[in-house]
Amino acid sequence: MNVTLSDAIKLTMQLFALLNVAAFGAISLVWLERRFLGRLQGRPGPNRVGPLGLLQPIADAIKLMSKEDVAPGTSQRLLFYAAPILVFVPSFVVWLTFPLARDVVVRNLDMGLFFFVAISVLSIVGLVLAGWSSNSKYAILGGFRAAAQLVSYEIPIITMILVIGMLSDSLDFVKVVDAQATVPFIAVVPLAFVIFLIAGLAEVGRTPFDIYFAESEVVGGPFVEYSGAHWAIFFLAEYVNTFVVGILGALLFLGGWRWPFGADLPQIASVALLMGKAYFIVLIIFWIRATYPRMRIDQLMAMAWKWLIPLSFVLFLVAAFQLKFEWPWWVLTILSLGVLVVPVVVQSRKQRNPALALAVRYSANAVIVHAKPRPAAVIVDDVVATSAVEGTSA
Amino acid sequence: MTNEPQFDHVDMMLNMGPQHPATHGVFRMVLTVDGERVVDVTPHIGYLHRGTERLAEVETYGQVITLFDRVDYISNLNNELAFVRAGEKIMEVEAPERAQYIRVILAELNRVASHLLFIGTYAIDLGGMTPVMYCFRERERIENLFEHVTGARMMHNYMRIGGVKSDVPDDFVPWVRRLIGEVRMGVEESDKLLSTNEVFLARTQGVGVIDGPTAVSCGLSGPSLRGSGVAYDVRKDDPYEIYPYLNYKIPLGENGDCWDRYYLRVLECYESLNMIEQCLDQFPAGPIMAAGRRIARPPAGEVFAHSENPRGDLGVYLVSDGSDKPYRVKIRPPSFCNLVGLATMTRGAYIADAVAILGSLDIVLGEVDR
Amino acid sequence: MTAQDPQAAPAEKPVRHGPPIVIAEEVLNERGEETAAQLARTLGPLALESAGREDNPWARVDAKELHAVAKECRDGEMGMDMLNLMLAVDWIDRIQMIYVLYSTTNNRKVILKADLPADAPAIDSLSDLWEAATWYEREAHDLFGVDFPGNRDMSPLLLYEGFEGHPGLKSYPLNDYEEW
Repeated sequence: MNVTLSDAIKLTMQLFALLNVAAFGAISLVWLERRFLGRLQGRPGPNRVGPLGLLQPIADAIKLMSKEDVAPGTSQRLLFYAAPILVFVPSFVVWLTFPLARDVVVRNLDMGLFFFVAISVLSIVGLVLAGWSSNSKYAILGGFRAAAQLVSYEIPIITMILVIGMLSDSLDFVKVVDAQATVPFIAVVPLAFVIFLIAGLAEVGRTPFDIYFAESEVVGGPFVEYSGAHWAIFFLAEYVNTFVVGILGALLFLGGWRWPFGADLPQIASVALLMGKAYFIVLIIFWIRATYPRMRIDQLMAMAWKWLIPLSFVLFLVAAFQLKFEWPWWVLTILSLGVLVVPVVVQSRKQRNPALALAVRYSANAVIVHAKPRPAAVIVDDVVATSAVEGTSA
Repeated sequence: MTNEPQFDHVDMMLNMGPQHPATHGVFRMVLTVDGERVVDVTPHIGYLHRGTERLAEVETYGQVITLFDRVDYISNLNNELAFVRAGEKIMEVEAPERAQYIRVILAELNRVASHLLFIGTYAIDLGGMTPVMYCFRERERIENLFEHVTGARMMHNYMRIGGVKSDVPDDFVPWVRRLIGEVRMGVEESDKLLSTNEVFLARTQGVGVIDGPTAVSCGLSGPSLRGSGVAYDVRKDDPYEIYPYLNYKIPLGENGDCWDRYYLRVLECYESLNMIEQCLDQFPAGPIMAAGRRIARPPAGEVFAHSENPRGDLGVYLVSDGSDKPYRVKIRPPSFCNLVGLATMTRGAYIADAVAILGSLDIVLGEVDR
Repeated sequence: MTAQDPQAAPAEKPVRHGPPIVIAEEVLNERGEETAAQLARTLGPLALESAGREDNPWARVDAKELHAVAKECRDGEMGMDMLNLMLAVDWIDRIQMIYVLYSTTNNRKVILKADLPADAPAIDSLSDLWEAATWYEREAHDLFGVDFPGNRDMSPLLLYEGFEGHPGLKSYPLNDYEEW
């Protein structure tokens, strides 16, 4: 294959632009999350550094870069410093195939969805490596838990991507968006969006699934020995991943840059529309973070293996049937909603009712203390003062 | 038997050190874990030991009240109340009615403030970062009132043996009425967000169960004991001040798990707000201090008084030798006794549950260590 | 209270100046009388001294009998299922242990006292009767030097390992203590 110089220059410029877009997206998420969480919690969020606090992420980056870089003495240095790179690079590499508009893409592969799945799994290796090379028992435990969680939640994501691939008859991102010209896939398979969002939260490591590096738990997770710039890389990778989940959701489920307009808009408007949808999904992710406490690791794994994986397989079969028998698209909506309703009903019977019933019962069965009648109000000038107070009586 | 490889079984010790975001103060817990399950837990306390009881022997009774403020630094007025009652018992004086009403109103407000702090910090221990903001906003409102009445937001030094230090300002009653409405809405906000939240329920229901007789034998008190179904509340069993003249409910739990202990505190917030409203309706005029000497010189003897703190039953055993300084002051801290039950509750739980169980006991290290 | 020199002649009470001391009258109310009657029945001849004020009667027993007496209080008609408080008071020539027992079923409180010699205070541990006693006893050991044979874990609770002296005693210099 002949690569001319102009091709190489063009590619370099595209990659540079892509890096900027991804990095800018991640940085804007840092700012957006803190302001949004602040508003949800009744406080302003960062508002000191720059107008509206817009320079806050830069201040954070400067702070993190200027910290002392300590590595544990007994750690494997080469692997210790390689692990952040292994976590961070796949998050950026997947951007190669994301189309921000029909022609705004670095390389539009025919197997774009497959490429995404294949590359994003690499960061799990990086996490395990981070934990193991730190040579600290808490880090190793954290690394293993992270690996277990991430691998378990890969399966629903992959299955949902397969469903989307089946419905749009292609693994190409542009064709997926084209297939949603009239109806976005979120209306066709809402259950797939729900599963994708939950599994995506778990993949990124966001509350309620962030127990493997949560601060207030006993084990600090695989990142416990990292400081300064290295920790900043993990931090950045998490935000880039969140943005990737947002963009992926916008492309696969919300209709990309086409819906609801059908025809193509000018490029800037297409990009803006796609970004708007991506940010919308990201805001939902932040909203969930503000609301829920963390799940315990065994509850998290139970949810993946007992609920999400079976549901995703059932949905896969349902989608396959719909394609085989060529039913209209709204049949799939009804069927997937039906599959969603069953676990919701089962769970609500098991968990919510007992708490509400207990709450009502505790209130009702409380020990009631009745007031005694109060003696008539007596204006007293001097209250009982015994000889002990006044001194001796003798 | 089959040829299974025999592995050496060694339990791992996990140290939740004195400096840890989730231990509510300088507290060290050494967990012996087998895989993911806790086999044993050894609490290490004493990092905040300031010798309060020994200091109280060289200070006059008025000065000891400031020491009691700092014993449980979240519910200051309740501690002052316990000590002041002990002083009044041994001196055989009774505070005038208005002073008693002021004391009870402030003590119940302090109970609400303490429970709000518990709800917020318990949520953030488990990862829900929003209730803490709402709860501290409500605490600010209550602390503004305290500043208006006593002059200080936290270490009030307001109660005296025989009454209170100074009368409440003129706008006290309307201010407290408005405050009750606002705080009630704030408690409801956090309650709705957290109490039936699926993830919160999964983390707290069935976790850290202790049954009634074991809890009583360990000396638990307060909501930690009432969660197991034992109806022991000092306000009901040994009533003091003007509590006999109030209608209130004491909620009881059934399962003795973390959720019960958490939810009982939420219910107690509502009950305290109702009690304050009744006090405001009955609020009398009159003097706020009993007549007599200001330097208390009680007769020689011993007395035991206790009050219902937000954390449990704070007891004060006061031994006087007739001088103006106590001979011995012993504080029975509810958190100290609640910690005895920690080992029973944590055995067999997951590591992540240790944080949830410790949080549900609502300890304050200032009173554990004194 | 000035620091007491332990080598000085043991005094009943420290020398003080001021108004003469008034001894409080200890009067039991009606409920206290009932509890005192129950206590007298439970203790029998073992009660060396007893009185009480308001609701709470107290009885002094011999240190060697305390464990049996406490067990009888717990299992007998009084049903004292909670050890509410345990403390030690340093009366210079003796150390007095005070136990406050409470019954959640009957809502009654009694106080048991036992005197221990000041030079080698030791009393049987009550940790097999109430779990709460374990920590109270560790604290009393730290602060007063009282020994509790039978308590399975007497490591320091409030003080750190290697601390010398017992700060709760009156003879411990309050202001003179310097760590370095």
